[in-house]
Amino acid sequence: MTGLSTDLRREMEIRRYPLAVYVLVPLASLVLQAWLPRVLGRFAYFDLPLLVVLYFSLVRRHPIHGTLLGAALGIFQDALTQGVIGIHGIANTVCGFLAASIGIRFVVENVLLRVILNFLFTLLAGLLVVFVSSALLGLQMHWSALTQVLVAAGNALIGLVLFPLLDRLQVKD
Amino acid sequence: MESFFSRHRNLIVLLAALLAQIIGLAVQVRRPSRSSTATAQQRATEMAPRDRGGVMLLRLWAADLVTPPERLFHAVNQGAFGLWSGYLDLVHLHEQNAQMQQTIDRLRLEQAMMQEDLRQAVRLQALLHFQQSYPQKTVAAQVIGTSGNLQSHLLFLDKGSADGLRTDMAVITADGIVGKVRDVFPHTAQVLMINDVTSGAGVVLEKTRIRGILRGSADGQTEVVGVLADSRIQPGEKVLTAGGDQIFPRGLPVGTVERVVRDPDRSAFIDIILKPAADLDRLDEVLVLTDLQSELSPAIESDLKQSEAEQGQAAAAELAREQARRKAAEEMAERLPGLSGPAAGAVAGVAATGAATSTTTGAANGSPAATAPPAPKPIPTLHPDRFSPGHDAGSGAASPVPDNGSAPANAPAQKPQNRRLP
Repeated sequence: MTGLSTDLRREMEIRRYPLAVYVLVPLASLVLQAWLPRVLGRFAYFDLPLLVVLYFSLVRRHPIHGTLLGAALGIFQDALTQGVIGIHGIANTVCGFLAASIGIRFVVENVLLRVILNFLFTLLAGLLVVFVSSALLGLQMHWSALTQVLVAAGNALIGLVLFPLLDRLQVKD
Repeated sequence: MESFFSRHRNLIVLLAALLAQIIGLAVQVRRPSRSSTATAQQRATEMAPRDRGGVMLLRLWAADLVTPPERLFHAVNQGAFGLWSGYLDLVHLHEQNAQMQQTIDRLRLEQAMMQEDLRQAVRLQALLHFQQSYPQKTVAAQVIGTSGNLQSHLLFLDKGSADGLRTDMAVITADGIVGKVRDVFPHTAQVLMINDVTSGAGVVLEKTRIRGILRGSADGQTEVVGVLADSRIQPGEKVLTAGGDQIFPRGLPVGTVERVVRDPDRSAFIDIILKPAADLDRLDEVLVLTDLQSELSPAIESDLKQSEAEQGQAAAAELAREQARRKAAEEMAERLPGLSGPAAGAVAGVAATGAATSTTTGAANGSPAATAPPAPKPIPTLHPDRFSPGHDAGSGAASPVPDNGSAPANAPAQKPQNRRLP
């Protein structure tokens, strides 16, 4: 009964976007994530692909979509580094799934709630990256808690601007 | 069964996605060995393991996906800057100032633009000059992007395998080394910078000649590790490439010693924090060494030939002077025999006597005078005893002055025998 009600709720409140948005927004996040550090130097405290995963997972309210989008963007993020591919993939996969699960159960239109969720999910993604690298793979991982907090804060602030902009791109019935 | 899959399809998809990625990770990861006997090159190779085919394909896709828009962004950024500084800002000035002031400001703006152009021209000219004067073959490339990850210090270049770039080629600027080419795609290449934790290169300190391994730290600093504590290492000392890693040629500037800290893991070792010679945060143009074989430019070759010819002439002149000196000495010895007679030894001092004796005996034996070593002669003693030079132990008779005519030029009797007992 609960499953039916959540499915029904999801079907009623699900947002739909043009196909171009599903392609271009993740691509733009990857490109900007790779290009902006050239402009901002070492002050590039954000993770745009994760932010896009969180947005689409929260508003689409579909755990499978969130999972697959998180995996795809995370793998592409890893592919742009010299490290092993899959670390960010796993982190974004989990975050996408959890965000979509939260989106099913709660209304996440509130700005403050979105800021808090972005902050917490970015921290969680950072912790998952550290866990997978250090505990799972045994790689030597240099991790800075301050950097992770700054990245989480950066994502929370960018989400304040980015999420309303992306809301405008949805298809109106 | 169907209801189970439909009820738990979200979790099943999540687990499948995680499992697939974990398997992918397990396939890729290779633990580096901790052997203390491993060389710097081996350690550097282990820190940056090579990719398998599938992983390489993924990286190629990611690079192909990201670098074209990055190239576009780069061009748009430069165009927008030009548009702003060339037009929009002039309109703003037009609204605020009178005609004369506007003209002056426009001229100032143009001057600033020209200065920027000049700075760029000077920078490019310096790079071109360095490229021409550098003995190795190089390819100039432009930096178009980064990895976008704070823990991964990578650059993307606008040149790739189509331009002759290969993996493990050194990337430098006129100021110093930048990194090495990690992956090469048809029209782009990925550069692992020296401040990345997985980078590695053999370096040597310029003055103290202490060797170490260059690598990056977690916070993006460049440091030399594997160095025993040494008080001679002082801030400001230059660090150069050692040349043993088959990537960087020997003697390229790496940076200067900023400070020395103790190695947190090994108390006997220190970490040397460097200030990189190249500005790693603001790189626009770089050079990629495509061939480690030295290939001198015609100008440098002609300089080297001229230098060798001048050195040969100087050596010939020195040889001629030496021969003239010898000839003059021989003529002097022939014309002034009194200086080399046996009686002269008793009259002249010890050194002069020794020299004259050796000259005379050498001439008598038919050997060149210049080759005979000077024979030291002891001072005659007033009251000879058994320790006096020339004292005959068997007969007990002392001879203060040995017979110069019978002694060979390099006889054992010429050893210093005038030791005095305390």
